[in-house]
Amino acid sequence: MSKNLTPQSVITEEVTLRYDYALGEVAGTFMDGLKQRKILATRCSKSGMVYLPPRAFCERSFEKCDGWIEAGHEGVIEASTVVLRGFEGSRPPPIAVAFVRLDGVHSAIANYVEGLDLSDTERAMDRLAPGTRVRVQFVPEPQGRVTDFYFVLAQ
Amino acid sequence: MNCYVLGLALYPAVQRAAGHRLEEMVYHTAHAALDHAGIHRRELDHVTLGACDELDGRSISSMLLAMPAGAYLVDEIKVTDSAASALCLEVARLKSEEFDIGLVASWCKSSKTDVESVMRLRGEPFYTRPFGMNMTMSDAMLAQAVADQFGVSAAQADDRVVKAYARASANPRGLTQAVPTLAEVAASPYEATPLRAMHRAPLSDGAVCMVVASQRWLDRHPQHRPLARIAGVGWAADSYRLDRSRLRDFNSARKAWAQALRMADLPDASSVDVMELETPTVYHEAAYEQVLGLGASTQISPSGGAFAQNPLFCTGLVGAAEAVLQVAGQAGAVQVPGVRRAAAHSCHGYAQQGNVFMIFEGAAHD
Amino acid sequence: MTEQVAVLSTWQSEFKLRHPSMTYVEQAQEAAAGCMAKVGMCPDDIDAIVYSLAPTAFMGVADADRWAIDHIFGAGKPMLRVHTGGATGGSVVQAAHALVRSGMYRTVMIVGAERISETPDAQKVLNQIFDPFYEKDMPLQTITAVALMANTYMRRHGITQEDVARLVVRQRRNALLNPHAHLKGNITVDDVMASPMIAYPFKLFDICPRSSGGAAMIVGNMDAARQWQTRPAFITGVGAVSDSNWIGDRIVPSAEYDFIDWKLMRVAGRAAFERAGITDPIHQVQVAEVYDAFSIQGLTQLEQLGFCASGTGFLLEGEGAWEMDGGQVAVCPSGGTLCTNPIAVAGLVRAIEAANQVMGTAGGHQVKNVRRSLATAVGGIAQFLTCSVFSHEPYEAH
Repeated sequence: MSKNLTPQSVITEEVTLRYDYALGEVAGTFMDGLKQRKILATRCSKSGMVYLPPRAFCERSFEKCDGWIEAGHEGVIEASTVVLRGFEGSRPPPIAVAFVRLDGVHSAIANYVEGLDLSDTERAMDRLAPGTRVRVQFVPEPQGRVTDFYFVLAQ
Repeated sequence: MNCYVLGLALYPAVQRAAGHRLEEMVYHTAHAALDHAGIHRRELDHVTLGACDELDGRSISSMLLAMPAGAYLVDEIKVTDSAASALCLEVARLKSEEFDIGLVASWCKSSKTDVESVMRLRGEPFYTRPFGMNMTMSDAMLAQAVADQFGVSAAQADDRVVKAYARASANPRGLTQAVPTLAEVAASPYEATPLRAMHRAPLSDGAVCMVVASQRWLDRHPQHRPLARIAGVGWAADSYRLDRSRLRDFNSARKAWAQALRMADLPDASSVDVMELETPTVYHEAAYEQVLGLGASTQISPSGGAFAQNPLFCTGLVGAAEAVLQVAGQAGAVQVPGVRRAAAHSCHGYAQQGNVFMIFEGAAHD
Repeated sequence: MTEQVAVLSTWQSEFKLRHPSMTYVEQAQEAAAGCMAKVGMCPDDIDAIVYSLAPTAFMGVADADRWAIDHIFGAGKPMLRVHTGGATGGSVVQAAHALVRSGMYRTVMIVGAERISETPDAQKVLNQIFDPFYEKDMPLQTITAVALMANTYMRRHGITQEDVARLVVRQRRNALLNPHAHLKGNITVDDVMASPMIAYPFKLFDICPRSSGGAAMIVGNMDAARQWQTRPAFITGVGAVSDSNWIGDRIVPSAEYDFIDWKLMRVAGRAAFERAGITDPIHQVQVAEVYDAFSIQGLTQLEQLGFCASGTGFLLEGEGAWEMDGGQVAVCPSGGTLCTNPIAVAGLVRAIEAANQVMGTAGGHQVKNVRRSLATAVGGIAQFLTCSVFSHEPYEAH
């Protein structure tokens, strides 16, 4: 073996896997609703639960959700955070994210909160405290993705 | 502690389940299995899943699939080897006497991803992946070894294909497919020698769920009549390497089968009337027939096996469902008369690295 | 008839960011060989294997357990690989427990390894675990999701960031006595507060590291224990539960088990404690190795396991209740997952540490007079929970 050979310490490889995720019965309807500036939730008449994000079946009754309901465009923050360190493939920080329980719905859906001054983190967190009411706003041209809408503080 | 299959369901065999998301396929099948067993989801005290993240397209697919599989607020665990492996762990859980009634669930939507890319990812990066080892290549090398070791000619392989499709065509639970002619099989192009395209069972989408209960649960719920008793299970995995002995000895298949027979207190294959084999290629079928000593008294894959439907990860548990239906006398058009014991088999990994066997007996009637 | 399940041997590597001189399978091999050698067992003595491996995108080989089988002396044996996300290491112990308790196998080896730093983008991998339609477009990676929960918990109970920082200080100090731990040191509350904010309220020091390394445990029945281990730890209680993936369902008034206080842990804990005959945890359990990838998580689990009331865990921290020496219960004497998180085996390491404490083999961080310990594991977004109890005495039916 030649003295000039140095052992390789790594093998490098880039792997991409392609997936075609079928929208299915429910997500397709939700995404279409977004294009019409509607936020559609599913309801299970057996348990009485109304779900966002919408789903095909109710976990509690284990029956199919059997109705669609338009969620209100106002709701209450259940949980929130300000993200300061980003990662590859997402919006650059700082960003505010909150789970919001929209009026008429039992479960909360997450999205960005816009229009807040995030330079003072503590103050921003106070303004995003659970219990705060927020309003839904839509982007000018909805594409059928969940980021077609975002939240702003209600007052 | 004896274990029984109380109910089961198969997602309707389909090449491409385009209309349903994976979660929806799983939900429908789980619900149908519970209905078949006559119990409500809330009665379950555990769930055992079998699934593969890479085939599902998610890093932790059970995060989204555990709930459709009935696991809400329930003790749930997942194995990734094969669907049949999940049934094996389920048997251990019931025999541990910590649990009494569970759901085994497995699924695979092979149409939604490039399966061979996933198989290539299973190659270790130093010696295996560089030459593109995948399912086609490894099964081809197995076919070559089997042809030589067990004396299987191309003509015999072609004949097995036609017979498998013929059996599958009688199965109401299988895909609707034409039965090819010998000439068509012989003329189908090579994918990797000696495997011709038609020697391989085509992939499909599917899901399978079983409700399994302990003797203790049955004693407390005498109004339930089980479909079958799980007499024995066995599993084993072979070396990762594909050298000559690995491809010819069928070491893990022999060990797994011996384990299942031992647990069922049976001497050999003559004790089972039906053996539903998982056969990614007909060369697998030829090999297992000899390795397991399957004689005239054992019908091989009356359902058509992988040629009736082949949802890859869960094909072996689909075979188990067919075996259960046989001993329960509910196999319909493909029912073999007078079945007392039916076995099912699963294989997984490159060139049947892993093998699983499950033996079912008709449940005693009062 | 069911069998006793005894821990015969355990083994851990040193956990750190990288092991550049070893391949993944060599790490798993080191753990398997080390675990057997420790008690004089050889491969033929192992009847079955349960392999601990979570998402493989980190180390880049799908189903790497299949590759590892030869290296762990497992070719030809019954092997199952279990994967429940972060809870994997806890679930493998419970799977092995079933294999022995059922009488199906006399000895089972549990083994695995992690190499998180093979890819630089661990968080991107973790972002793939969310629902691809609703949550992927948002940075709902694990850190953000737990931060959301933490904010509400802290407001609800009046807990400050400094209160939580005291836990970080204690566990990093504990880790100084643990040669296997990744992060360790004598830090202060000020050090924690000064570390960069990642997702409010979590600063860098509130979050676990990405650790690589291997671990193994061998369990067996009473007969096997008589042959190989004079002082085993018996697994006397196992419990696990899974909840909905939808965080938005779990933080709202209609939630059946409130996520904020982490009430779901009660379910797993209750199941394990009932089996183990534990009715008064704070007096019956001396060590709690709780799975705490984030600083908020360890004591919230303890609260729901019944060691103290909701919201009081961090106040008791301030009073020294969880110290190794002089505390009421030693919480993570090893440093916990907060100091060492090799995802695929993190839950297994908790179980190993808990078992070692009962067996008297914990070394520098051994707590005195441990009769019982517990280990938990967490997977998904606090969605899959396991709890296992280890005892110096065999299991007795209650």
